[in-house]
Parts: sequence; C-alpha cells; structure tokens
Amino acid sequence: MLRMQIFVGIISLVLFALTFEFIRKKILREEYSILWLFTSLSIAILSLWPQMVPLISKITGFYYVTALLLVITIFLVALLMHFSIVISKIKDVNKELIQRHGLLELRIREMEQKKSS
Amino acid sequence: MRVLRKNEKMKKRVAVIVPAYNEENTIGSVVRRIQALGEGYDAIVVNDDSSDRTFSIAHQEGATVIDLPCNLGIGGAVQTGFLYALRNAYDACVQVDGDGQHPTEKIPYLLKTLFEEDLDIVIGSRFIEKTGYDISFMRRIGIGIISLFLKIFTGISVKDSTSGFRAINARAARLFANNYPQDYPEPESLIFAHKYGFKIKEVPTEMTNRLHGISSITPVKSGYYMIKVLLAMFIDLFKKI
Repeated sequence: MLRMQIFVGIISLVLFALTFEFIRKKILREEYSILWLFTSLSIAILSLWPQMVPLISKITGFYYVTALLLVITIFLVALLMHFSIVISKIKDVNKELIQRHGLLELRIREMEQKKSS
Repeated sequence: MRVLRKNEKMKKRVAVIVPAYNEENTIGSVVRRIQALGEGYDAIVVNDDSSDRTFSIAHQEGATVIDLPCNLGIGGAVQTGFLYALRNAYDACVQVDGDGQHPTEKIPYLLKTLFEEDLDIVIGSRFIEKTGYDISFMRRIGIGIISLFLKIFTGISVKDSTSGFRAINARAARLFANNYPQDYPEPESLIFAHKYGFKIKEVPTEMTNRLHGISSITPVKSGYYMIKVLLAMFIDLFKKI
C-alpha cells in the first residue's frame, strides 16, 4: 500500500511540476491550467489519504478497474470536447482578424496612393 | 413619394465581389469585364492568400484588391467583400467567381431584378433555361438533391442551389457581413436567408465552362461533398442566428 502511495504521489508531483513549468514558460494559459492543477491535486489527496478510495467505491459503487476506466474515458471525452470548443472559438476570432487585416491593408494602400499622387 | 422617385433616379453603387484563389490566368479578364459594365460598378477582388500573381494582376487592372494574409476559403473571402461593401455604403453586392465562368454581362440584369422586384437575393441560375453550360450528370443530380432538401425544409424553390453567381441588396449584405457560413457558403447561405426571411428569386443565366484550372468539386468527391453539404445545411436549420 505504501509503495503504491509513493508511486501515485510522484505522479501527482510530476503533473503539478509540469503544469507549473508550462505556465511559467507561458506555453499554457492559466485559465486552462486550473483543470490540470486540480487533477494533480486530487491525485495527491488520493496518495496521502488512500482511505478515500474505498470510501469513493462505497459512494459510487465502482468496485472494478473497468468502471474506473469508464470514468477516465468520460473525463477525457469531456476534455476533448472542451478543446474543440476552444479551437472553434479561436478559428472564429482568427477569421475576423484576417478579414480586418485585409481591409486595413487596403485602406493604408489607398491612403498612400492618395498621398503620393 | 417624391423622395422615392428621386432615389430611383440616383445611380446605384454596386460592389462586384470576386473571391479569388490562384486565378492569375482569368482574374485580369474578369476585372476588365466588370469595369466594362460602366459607372457604378466597382470590382472588389478578395485575394484569398493566393501563391500566384492574382494580387498584382488584379491590382494592375485597377480593381480594389483586399489581400487576405491567410487562406479563409470562399465563405470567408466573400464575407470580407460584404464587410467592405457595408463600410463603403454600397447599394448592392454581386458575387462573381474569379475563374471567369460567370457571365458578367448579366450583372445589370440580376440587379434590375433585385431592385425592381424589391428582392433580397437574386441567383443567376444555369438550369432554368436550356443554356450552353455543360454540367456533368453527377453534379446535376447532387445539386438537385440539395435543392430538394431546401424545398422540403425551407420551402425555397431554387434549382441551382450551388450557384455562386448572385446579387444581394444592402440589407442582406449587412446580415451576411455579420454572419455567413464558411464551409459550403452557397447552399448554406440559402438556409440563413430563409431564417432571415429574405425574398429570393432565381433568374436564368448562361455560364461557360471554367476557362482554366479545375473545379474544386471533382465527380469522385461529389458524393462525399453532397453528404457533407446536406449535413451542414441540416445543422444550420437548428443554428441560432
């Protein structure tokens, strides 16, 4: 039990450190990092307080690994959906920026032409 | 009443929007043909990040060229033209493909129908009368199915639902500038038009086969294309606009 606790604890620490490092290097924005910080925190709690596992089993009725797998899958699907929404939003913003950029460039070109003539 | 008559006499300003992606072989003649229409017609070329000389040729010919820094696809490019027309207070927009297959000399006819019958969209169709345009059998069936879909779900009767040759008034341009479909703009925009309550009419125009290059829809892909279009249109029916 202790060995497993240490192993899970290391995973949570690594995840936490990675998230922290990504925020520091500005690879990951804070708003998207909350999810990962929360995940690493919950793993850390599980490693420090393993009694929670049977408690969760009692509450949810998940006694098998396959059930846990299902939960993880749902989590990942939700995460992917979230990312798809973010990408769609970015694409919309991007489109608008490209359009405005084109229109602005035209205006600058026309102003320069007026000035030179 | 007097004001109305005065307005009618005033010359309408029309933005002829030409979305162009790598059309260096045809864009020059398309621009010249638009300019030949005379006063009131401005050629607005939207260069969709072409890698060839589309921009410089259109610019040399004297067209107003909007140069997009990244490729947006036809929907985004045409919408940029609507935005331009909106900001410069044009009375109407006409969309013409950059490949030279649309009969530009029919533009005044589209506009006459638009203004006289007080419509929001006029579509130049290849199908209403027998014309010289030779369209492949597969594509004809595909367009027919899309038209049937439109008829069933919106009640709009348009035979040539994928025609990109169309005129819209300022009201439609304002709404499309704000919200225009990006994936399959021609058929999808008709669903949007239905939701906005636009008055639509189709008029016969002849089209010539593409002068250069190949159509973006090959017969092999047409089946797959059609399923995607119908799916996109179906989703549009439920979209909040």
